Amino acid sequence: MEPLISMGVLALIGAAATIAGASEDLESDVGSQSNANSQIQLAPQMGYIHRYYNKAIAGEPVSNGMMCTIGATGTLVLIKHFGMSPLFALVIGALIAAMVHGSYSVTAIMGREASQKRFKQPIYLDLIRSHTPVIMAFAFLTTFTVEIVSYLMVYALAHPFPFVLLSFLLGVVVGSVGSATGDVHLGSERQFQQTEFGSGLNASNSGNIVRKGESGLRNGIDNLWFCSKFGGPMTGVAFGMVVFLGIWILIVFDPARGLKEGWLSNILGFLIVVVLGIWNWHIEKEAREKFGPYKEDKTEEVSA
Amino acid sequence: MSDAKNKYPPNTMLALGVVGGLVGIYLAYFLAPINHVFVFFGALGAICASVWGADVVRRVASYGLGTGVPSIGMLALGMGVIATLFGLSIGGVAGPIIAFITACVIGAIIGILANKIIGMGIPIMERATTEIAGAGTLLILGFSIVIAGSLDYVLVVKDVIATGFIMMIYIAGGMAMLHPFNSNLGPDEMQDRSLSLAIEKAGIAMVLSGFASVAGLGAIAVTMLIGIFIWYKGFNKYYSFVKRDAYKVLDTGMLPTEEEMQ
Amino acid sequence: MIELITANLIWILAIVIGGTLISQSVHFIPVGGAPAAMSQATGIGTGTVMLAAGAGIAGIIAAGTVMAVNQNLPLVIAAGAVGSMVMLAATMIVATWIYVYGVGVIPVSAKVKYDPITKYRQDLYVSQGTEGHGIPTVCFVSATIGAALGGLGGALVYYALMKVSTLPVTDLNLSAVVSTFTIGFFFINSVIPSYNIGGTIEGFHDPKFKKWPKAALASFIASIFCAIVAVVAVGSLGGGL
Repeated sequence: MEPLISMGVLALIGAAATIAGASEDLESDVGSQSNANSQIQLAPQMGYIHRYYNKAIAGEPVSNGMMCTIGATGTLVLIKHFGMSPLFALVIGALIAAMVHGSYSVTAIMGREASQKRFKQPIYLDLIRSHTPVIMAFAFLTTFTVEIVSYLMVYALAHPFPFVLLSFLLGVVVGSVGSATGDVHLGSERQFQQTEFGSGLNASNSGNIVRKGESGLRNGIDNLWFCSKFGGPMTGVAFGMVVFLGIWILIVFDPARGLKEGWLSNILGFLIVVVLGIWNWHIEKEAREKFGPYKEDKTEEVSA
Repeated sequence: MSDAKNKYPPNTMLALGVVGGLVGIYLAYFLAPINHVFVFFGALGAICASVWGADVVRRVASYGLGTGVPSIGMLALGMGVIATLFGLSIGGVAGPIIAFITACVIGAIIGILANKIIGMGIPIMERATTEIAGAGTLLILGFSIVIAGSLDYVLVVKDVIATGFIMMIYIAGGMAMLHPFNSNLGPDEMQDRSLSLAIEKAGIAMVLSGFASVAGLGAIAVTMLIGIFIWYKGFNKYYSFVKRDAYKVLDTGMLPTEEEMQ
Repeated sequence: MIELITANLIWILAIVIGGTLISQSVHFIPVGGAPAAMSQATGIGTGTVMLAAGAGIAGIIAAGTVMAVNQNLPLVIAAGAVGSMVMLAATMIVATWIYVYGVGVIPVSAKVKYDPITKYRQDLYVSQGTEGHGIPTVCFVSATIGAALGGLGGALVYYALMKVSTLPVTDLNLSAVVSTFTIGFFFINSVIPSYNIGGTIEGFHDPKFKKWPKAALASFIASIFCAIVAVVAVGSLGGGL
């Protein structure tokens, strides 16, 4: 394909991927899925009853992989068997995925809290009624944008993998990225906001999550508001970078044009990794200097 | 887990899964050339296999795998996909049986490796990985025949693999096996509640594979309708168990007071 | 069936090597699991299987793209490695932003006193009651190595299976079957080492890393059976048995 047109397609893919990352993280923040969920699961055991949505669906990569695959299945069936235009099929496919995800979410919270009977954790039906549509809306967004990315990769950039398979793969990747980045903001910061800023979770504080918010009892939608300020957009940037940079190096130096171009694209990718590594080291160094140590160095004092 | 919570013994579930699965697949296999509507038997067989698989996941995960429940689901379906394609490529009437046996062999090998070489030390590991690989294969075969209308290798490659629907079967079926236990994780988990959820999730997978079927509008309609019915009944059963088991199901409310927590 | 196996012995070996590389890659990638997301442990806050799968999948996507246009073996597997590395590097840099600016912790490991690469002191900067947090430089480097191995392994499996068949590389049925196999194969070889690790690992400096031979052996044996099965199924696509 003409390189400049490829760059245009890539720009669209990058934008869609950024939205996908952000909505994936926000969806997992409303339902406190995956990593942060371990504290939600632990809290009733330690006597801290909560009003959070305990959505435990097998971890974000698998759950997002499922949504995106189901969405892509719906889309492909509508395009191939029912002759619908892709513009409509992508939307309806994402809608089907959101509905399936809604059913998984509802059964998850009911199941987890029913299995915590001995800790006296009630199931609040109003939580299910208010949070599930929000979860479904974000699931719709994630599925829709991931479908756009994989649709463009297959039908515009001629990727050899099938459309549904590529959607599955990108769903797993967006789940991995979201789980590694945005969940930290929820799990370390928002969930334990009552502890002082600037430290990790002390093991003695495990399970002692914030349950009483600014006014009233805190729930998943309050967490969503907070995490949408930082965690969500950052996850969007992360997934956008993953997809954009991964494809960019192959468009700038197209392996189809020969072996030399192919190796130049590999070298460019490796350079990007090195630059990011140096940036990571720089942030680490700066943080050590600015924040300082937590403890005094006792051995130095003794020998002095 | 106390025995009082386990109403259905492991061998009953194994029989349900193997017999139900194979009968469903072969009914669809032999009846589909007569009228494509009969492919739905394959989905029913797949539902039996997923309930069996969910029970195996339940049993083995309670030993503490160290990596979480989803990984064993992904392992099972990974083995299932490989074994299914192998069995179907050999072809013929015995294709499904060859796929099933291959999966069980690979599952047994991986279980032995996990216990003996990695040293996991879980007593039922070999049996569990064998069973779960078999369940995964029957599930994939059942839904594949719904989508492709037959188990001919060339047709399955064209309609199930090349379109990518195999991944939908992989993940929707895998989730039907691992979501029931994962979502009911907790000290008061009950077998009948978890398995009713397996039926509900497998019902969703049936609706999706019916939707993707190329076996004609009749097959699509019949499979989807039966799938929606199974989903509905499964969900109602699950909700009734949730109400039975939960501490309280409140419409809304504040956190319990100190006195209530005593 | 036997002819297919004997004719493709070199590709079966390639698949087995690929599977073992995938299994080794999982030991390099620093995974903190749920505690890492709570800044209680060093590493990336995801499960072992899924992070390795995420990185490897990015590599397989890249390898698939390149193989469709250029079938040079070193190029394809290098593209797989680079794809995985870019994915993990981008994820880690954003995770560092969140740890340092969002949570306010310093990237440190609690398993070593001095970072093997930067020689920075670690234990004074670990917050109380935690096992370290964030992604210090040694973990970043270890992750990059792990991603490279995973991408290499996945791309090697993909390449080998594509070459087994007599069908042209651009045949979409072939790439669909091969990519499906590669994914299933990848998941199997990610779960086996994750059982070996048993939860979390910080990278090559972690004492748990010494357990890698067990996973290598287990993956090697499991991959042999899966490779034979895969080669028969893929080889039967074009010409028949």
